[in-house]
Amino acid sequence: MNFSAGIEFFVNRARMAAPRFVGLAKMSDPTPSVSAQASSPLLEVKNLRVSFFTRDGVVGAVQNVSFAIGRGRTLALVGESGCGKSVTASSLLRLVQPPGRILGGRILLRSRREGEIDIAHLDEKSGLLFKVRGGLVSMIFQEPMTALSPVHTVGSQVDEAILVHQDVSPAAARRLTLDMLQRVGIADATQRYHQYPHELSGGLRQRVVIAMALVCRPELLIADEPTTALDVTIQAQILGLIRTLQREIGFAVLLITHDFGVVAQMADDVAVMRHGEIVERGTVRGVLKHPEQAYTRTLLDALPSRRYAARAALMRRVDGE
Amino acid sequence: MSEPLLSVRGLARHFPLYAPGVRRRVAGVSKAVDDVSFELASGESLGLVGESGSGKTTTARCILRAMDPTAGEVLFRLPDGRRVDLAKLSSGELKPIRQHAQMIFQDPFSSLNPRMTVRDIVGEPLVIHRVARGAELDARVSEILQRVGLKPEHRSRYPHAFSGGQRQRIGIARALIMRPSLIVCDEATSALDVSVQAQVLDLLQELQREFRLTYLFVTHNLDVVRGFCDRVAVMRKGRIVELASTTEIFSAPQHPYTKILLSAVPSPDPDLPMNFNIGEELARLDAMTS
Repeated sequence: MNFSAGIEFFVNRARMAAPRFVGLAKMSDPTPSVSAQASSPLLEVKNLRVSFFTRDGVVGAVQNVSFAIGRGRTLALVGESGCGKSVTASSLLRLVQPPGRILGGRILLRSRREGEIDIAHLDEKSGLLFKVRGGLVSMIFQEPMTALSPVHTVGSQVDEAILVHQDVSPAAARRLTLDMLQRVGIADATQRYHQYPHELSGGLRQRVVIAMALVCRPELLIADEPTTALDVTIQAQILGLIRTLQREIGFAVLLITHDFGVVAQMADDVAVMRHGEIVERGTVRGVLKHPEQAYTRTLLDALPSRRYAARAALMRRVDGE
Repeated sequence: MSEPLLSVRGLARHFPLYAPGVRRRVAGVSKAVDDVSFELASGESLGLVGESGSGKTTTARCILRAMDPTAGEVLFRLPDGRRVDLAKLSSGELKPIRQHAQMIFQDPFSSLNPRMTVRDIVGEPLVIHRVARGAELDARVSEILQRVGLKPEHRSRYPHAFSGGQRQRIGIARALIMRPSLIVCDEATSALDVSVQAQVLDLLQELQREFRLTYLFVTHNLDVVRGFCDRVAVMRKGRIVELASTTEIFSAPQHPYTKILLSAVPSPDPDLPMNFNIGEELARLDAMTS
């Protein structure tokens, strides 16, 4: 028995004997242990760089972007169209298509199930990337109609998400699907199961997409403008649904949006993007109430109206009744 | 001057619902717009808000006769003082009147023909109404382009060369070139980023003062209405449930639906929580009204 193996033996014994030694053990141990992960964020993006190599030159869509999301927390990425927020989101799942390419940086996902994964450096054909996509990290998109196949029933599409990632029988998958459809607030799930996307309203479609995204119990949900295509009343319901499920299931959310209202109501932290860089970052209350950067202030001032006063008056009225 | 520019009375548009099967059997009727009445004073902006399916766009289309209303009248005052009922005129009689009432569309990508140059798009109304051609048309197109914040040399370009905000300016130029008195904006800023939206709204307001325009502003975005309109009509299920001045609607909404709608808007102030239980409240409202 050589020296380092001997140390490992004692460290492992110490780990088994007393959980409080775990932190100590981690220092000498290059592979992080499960309990040490709990304190570090679920997702850590470090110096991510994504460029598009077009005929007219190289466009640096994402330049040295770094952020972190804790377990069960919500980070909002806000900015105008073209600022790189959606490219950032799709690079988390390695969905950036040529001529785009991830040039550098790390995307660390500290999964409970699979340990620490650097998504940026996974092989395109690796089984782990397959697990990440839709398994550990899933995504919902702005336009539910384009995220759903028009020629398959909604039930079979949710089934497929389960069958791809979990080792269950089709009958069991169907039960899981029906259960999930009910949880996302689809009243007559057994009937809806056999319907096609075109038979559903926009709000119901988005609920199906959410069911599809959550059915494999992801640890991170990326929501790319999830309510932009919806009415305010439907938006309120969908946002409420995401919040409720987040509390129940415990996933973290990366919310991509351009709407500061949605940011204020949904997120814990916010990062403001412009020209591929994060210009300001902080807690929602800090950034929205006391923006430090001129750009953030400009965006906030561009809101068609500051409705604070009237809403406060309305609240008083409602309370007074 | 007290006479309104537009008065809509009892406007309705019903669509037949067909029973399933090969034979087209009418099984019922969908009342997309049902007994809608309002007046629009000259120089005013009226917001028509509601959710999708509330009938706001159908109302707007019936007013401009992009669609034939089932019932009701749409009295429109022409610049010479005559009053015509747009709902009753034949398409031939309508054509000369159409220059006075124009529309700006939501999607600046699909509302501009990609195979026409900006000059052709913006100048087309002049050709249709035989107002100008050749060098005069060029001059008028250049003038209106400058007025909406574009450059005259943009004339020879195609829509794909422009950003969303610029395209919307092209759409505005096309609507304005006939010097209309009424402009119907159907979700005119909904496809734009907040900062671009703010610029377009500013432009519309400037143009309103300059050309004494009257806007019917159809939108689902209450926030936009608040900064832009003088009065607001809230629509639901084909009817106007509440019509009042913007200040009243926002500070003291009367109808329960208006209250629910306002509470659903996410406030950018994290200390003013929004209402996530909209579904239940709407269901309660429906139970009460039926």
